[in-house]
Amino acid sequence: MRTASGRRVPALLVAVSVLLVAADHWLTLPPLRALGSVVYGSLESGVSSVTRLAVDPRRLDGVERENARLRAALLAARRPSQAPAGAGDYRVAPAHAIAFGRDQTVTIDAGTRAGVTGDMTVFDADGLVGRVVRAGPSTATVQLATAAAASIGARLETSREVGLVTGVPERGLLRLSLLSATAAVRPGDRVVTLGSENMRPYVPDVPIGTVVSVERTPGALTPTALVRPFARFTALDLVTVVLGGPVAVPDGAEPPAGAAG
Amino acid sequence: MRRVLAAAVVVLLAPVAQVAGVNALDLPGGGPSMALVGVVALAPLLSPAGAAVLGFAAGLAADIAPPADHTIGRLALALCLAGWLCARVPDDAGPVARAGAALGAAAGATLLDAALGLALGDEAWAATAAVLPGALAWTAAGAAVAAGAVAALAPVTRRRRFGGPVSRSALRSPHPRGHRA
Repeated sequence: MRTASGRRVPALLVAVSVLLVAADHWLTLPPLRALGSVVYGSLESGVSSVTRLAVDPRRLDGVERENARLRAALLAARRPSQAPAGAGDYRVAPAHAIAFGRDQTVTIDAGTRAGVTGDMTVFDADGLVGRVVRAGPSTATVQLATAAAASIGARLETSREVGLVTGVPERGLLRLSLLSATAAVRPGDRVVTLGSENMRPYVPDVPIGTVVSVERTPGALTPTALVRPFARFTALDLVTVVLGGPVAVPDGAEPPAGAAG
Repeated sequence: MRRVLAAAVVVLLAPVAQVAGVNALDLPGGGPSMALVGVVALAPLLSPAGAAVLGFAAGLAADIAPPADHTIGRLALALCLAGWLCARVPDDAGPVARAGAALGAAAGATLLDAALGLALGDEAWAATAAVLPGALAWTAAGAAVAAGAVAALAPVTRRRRFGGPVSRSALRSPHPRGHRA
């Protein structure tokens, strides 16, 4: 009995692992992810808070919240054609990148309690970071724009040509595929988000990066280019999550954000 | 008791140290897999079954700790096998042999995880090819150093849990692993 368990236990665990892989591959396992988010997300949050406090004890939440609000206002101001008088800012939540994954993902310390849910835009002072793929109670997982699975509607800022940006994770770059065969693209062009329907997962006009080189593929119908992202994905800190699109704010009324004080 | 505590620390803290520590440092080549290093370093102090349980738990923890976004079970499988293999090294093996076994198991588990990632469609070939050499080097080196250090600090292992005792007299007998027969 004792000696047999020396092999029975590993064999059983291997079988359970294979079942887990199969279950997550074909069905996905939200309860396990939720458990991980509660247990390890909280630990990551705690570790990050302590480190931040130790590094800079005078850093204030209020300042961060204001920073996020100003950034959102800046983003709204970048859209002259679509920002009629009286339109409010994006509803946003500030967050920190607290953990970095091997799967082109980061953890942020804002979750469903802060209003964060899946498919929300995340950006920082430099530009687009990515989108929320999963949110736990106090943390959320963000897929970076450089992830191979990321596919972002984009346009060239000046010419307004529309294209699709996908990740090239092994080089830390992005690949822009323009939709029009006649579209002109040259190094130095700035790329911004096109914006998704209902602002999810991407709000429009968030800076993504600059074109570094144009790829000349023989036989390709449409031009493609490599784009260097503005955001520095290995040194992310304070980020902003867009909770919702611009809402009309009547004159003199309090903006609906900041309920937590 | 102390070994169970050390195992619990590996399961609970290795994923956090990984995502909030090692990965945040942005080391050249990526850095070691903390859960894997912890498992292969501790495994020789446990019975094969206990080490398999530790590997499974630590791997599953690393699979679900945010921001992990790969198929759940990949690391649980790889680390379970790595722990089990490292625990099967004879108890009288010296630090060098232990470090060698840990190095081999860590490299094997890293390769198995990468192969699973490719087979399941989690990763693309180009991305895997770019990160695998660094991950292999860091993890194998970290595992060898950690296992050598543990072996030097705790040269005689006492196996009491999960797999049943391997008594000291059994170790001295000509067939120390007689239960395999």
